[in-house]
Amino acid sequence: MFGEKVIELLKEAERNSDTIDLYNDEKIRQIIQEMHILFKMNMDDANATTENKSLWTTVQVRHSALERNKRCLLAYLYNRMNKIKTLRWEFGSVLPPDVRELLSDSEYEWFSKYSTNLASYMRSLGEDIGYSGIDLTENLRPPKSLYIEVLCVTDYGKLELEDGDVIMLKKNSRHYLPTEECQTLIRQGVLKQII
Amino acid sequence: MFIEDIRNDFYNVLLGNRVLLLVHYDVDAVCACKILQDLFKCDNISYTLVPVGGISDLKTAYDENNEEIKYVVLVNCGGTIDLVDILQPEEDVVFFVLDSHKPTDICNVYSDGQVRLIYKDDEENIPNFDDIFRDDDEDEEEPEPEPERRSALEAAAERRRARKAWEERRHALMFNYTQFSYYGKPSACVALEIAARASRCTTATLWSAAVAAAAHEALHNRSPARCLLDAEPLHRYVAAAQRHTADDDTHRVARVSVEKDASLPLYRLWSLEGALRHAGALAPLLRLHARSGAARLRQLLADMGFPLQQARQAYRSMDVELRRSMLTALEAAAPKYKLPVPTRATFLLHRPHAPPLSALDMVYAIMALIEHETIPRAEGFQHALAALQVTGENEALKLGAAAARRALEAVARLANSILSSRGLMLAGPFNYFIVQEV
Repeated sequence: MFGEKVIELLKEAERNSDTIDLYNDEKIRQIIQEMHILFKMNMDDANATTENKSLWTTVQVRHSALERNKRCLLAYLYNRMNKIKTLRWEFGSVLPPDVRELLSDSEYEWFSKYSTNLASYMRSLGEDIGYSGIDLTENLRPPKSLYIEVLCVTDYGKLELEDGDVIMLKKNSRHYLPTEECQTLIRQGVLKQII
Repeated sequence: MFIEDIRNDFYNVLLGNRVLLLVHYDVDAVCACKILQDLFKCDNISYTLVPVGGISDLKTAYDENNEEIKYVVLVNCGGTIDLVDILQPEEDVVFFVLDSHKPTDICNVYSDGQVRLIYKDDEENIPNFDDIFRDDDEDEEEPEPEPERRSALEAAAERRRARKAWEERRHALMFNYTQFSYYGKPSACVALEIAARASRCTTATLWSAAVAAAAHEALHNRSPARCLLDAEPLHRYVAAAQRHTADDDTHRVARVSVEKDASLPLYRLWSLEGALRHAGALAPLLRLHARSGAARLRQLLADMGFPLQQARQAYRSMDVELRRSMLTALEAAAPKYKLPVPTRATFLLHRPHAPPLSALDMVYAIMALIEHETIPRAEGFQHALAALQVTGENEALKLGAAAARRALEAVARLANSILSSRGLMLAGPFNYFIVQEV
């Protein structure tokens, strides 16, 4: 039956709506093939019988199926595009290889373009007031506080902050530092956040 | 130099700058540090906090952390030593000193802005500047003309005499000033004043200040009358906070209150008998080291109407009726054994869904954490800070209370064994005994 494959495709995509899955190249090729066949049949019928109106209904049905396939495919692609857009915000401009494999070539091209656009937009932000851009992806939600209290767990040595201050991280000293500066150190286990 | 306006000349100066916070290992300092930390957090003042235990510690801590730091706040340390001489700071570094140790070093008092003392104690008799410092112009005398030589000689001798007299006077003044060391107003009470001036007087602030006030009282750092005066602003703030809390909120938020309470250390976290046995104010008067001491303690409990079984189990699981009547029973039974009045007004912290906590217990817990037998001091300091929080599960407090109980038990055991083995030497104005190293 017409349009069966495209529904399968959509259902597949619907199953895990939060994550992106492999670009279904095979199925899409089949669907497009089906559309080509439908189009060809319609062309033949339309050309052959300009007077015979009995075939018009058939042409109509085929045409609807064609349109439907097209619409569903576009929905599929659009949905994936939105997911890729969130990937940019979550992972940054460089995708991990396993995620990269899931995208088709043209999708990846779109991703790179989107990434460059976003980057140049972020660079341009705040130019008039003397900032050299703001990283919008840093805090997707407003942070509770700009600073956090941390306890140093090991003798780490000196840490230079973005504003040029140098901080000596020694065991059992407490610091109140900008959140972004500490996050990597907390992940490394040098600092411990105190709540 | 002393600071005139605690808000404008101290707190507002720190705003927007990085601060190095050096804190001594004692209960008062921990409490003051907690208050300052909360203030700094409100105003996003980034700070580095390092606990220090002595002058050499202070020096290393300062040397390690002095890069790019223009403001240093010292809590309960540094007041009694000449900071500029010992730390050799850069010209533009400013030290704010909040120290309850007295007497304050003269060089700190008369420093021209590099060392700023946050609180001026009126009890301190600081010698006048002119009595201590004097420009030395003796050697730069110009040769006088010949005819007046004789009178010049006399004048010089006169000056030397005056100088000698002045030196003697200075020596006497300095001796009188520095011969005794004592404690001033708790630093946390001063910190509370700062918080109040900045309108940031929260329950945590009040609680920290209350613990510090209780510490000075429990450790006999100040005379009882002075303690009462120190705590007076605290009483005021507590009363104000109580007025502001709506009635239906009282069970949902933590609050500090002043109530009559037994001055037994840790009895809420111990058993009644255990607390009585180890209370510094009561146990020696019951003569527990003597053979009849145990009987006397049992007699006291009997007079109070407490069965031994109840008195020996954890206070939290004691009969509710007994718990309620404990204060009155103790007060009634105390005079018979010539005990001092065992109750006094203390600060209690009421937490939602948790038993109330007395400031006195907190003092012992913090002391035990700082001087814990296994935990290093710097780590104990972190635990002590954590124990001061007013909300949430307080693991550090449990740890501290257990350690404090062990410490009290050890002290009581040692004192009793020394007394019963007649190890106490009486030597004129001092009594002493020798502790054997284990």
